[in-house]
Amino acid sequence: MVMAIEDRMRVKLKSGDTHIRILLAHPMNNGQGVDALGEPIPQEFIQDIRCWRNDDEVLAIKCGTATSTNPYFSFQLAGGEQGDKIAVRWVDNTGAKGEVEILVP
Amino acid sequence: MTDTINPQRRALLRKAFSASTLALVAGSGLILPQRLLAHWPSDAFTAEAVEDAILAIMGQAEIATTKTLKFTTGKPPKKTVSGDSVAVQIDSELDNIERIAILVENNPYPLVMSLDLISAVKLPFKTRIKIAKDSSVIAVARADGVLYKTERFVSVVIGGDA
Repeated sequence: MVMAIEDRMRVKLKSGDTHIRILLAHPMNNGQGVDALGEPIPQEFIQDIRCWRNDDEVLAIKCGTATSTNPYFSFQLAGGEQGDKIAVRWVDNTGAKGEVEILVP
Repeated sequence: MTDTINPQRRALLRKAFSASTLALVAGSGLILPQRLLAHWPSDAFTAEAVEDAILAIMGQAEIATTKTLKFTTGKPPKKTVSGDSVAVQIDSELDNIERIAILVENNPYPLVMSLDLISAVKLPFKTRIKIAKDSSVIAVARADGVLYKTERFVSVVIGGDA
């Protein structure tokens, strides 16, 4: 089931670090399942996620099919200040792409 | 035959050779698979044994089981009802971690995800994974050429569609 949500990201400055939470909207089908009519659901899952702070790439996540539906990630970046631009870009195995950008409040 | 080197002739030869080699490689389609491999390491993600997956994603290195890499208590839980979305949290006191891999031993393909910590990233790292049936959840980190490993056994009532 594809939920009617968008890719979301929350960023917060806390004790000098930038806390980042990411929730991507993606079904993450592994190619094994069948739909209500018994038709196989084709494989569709996010493979590559890149996180950027301003112009620096900080984290690259490679996913397999066992990452949960609507993948969630949370991590911290050392330092950071108001107005930093945090960007996340992902691409899945079918070539679909997504991007979220946010300024540190 | 003279032994003197003509620099102009040298430069011309070098240019001609590099251009022709590049054209040849591009024409044969050799560049594309390499780029795809770098984009997503399919051999690691389709390995069916934990050891193969770790070798493919982390490379050959000594594995140390230590307490410097650990799961946060309760993440993953020892027992969970749904294997579709299991929270996992990894923490470590190690510096210079280059890469972390999360694996589920009894999934069809054990490797769940790999993280490249390029710069400034601080743990703990939280995510959610699918677990197909009762299994060990394993985290492996590579720091300074050594692999650090930790694992926890998770019982699943309803398996996830991993």
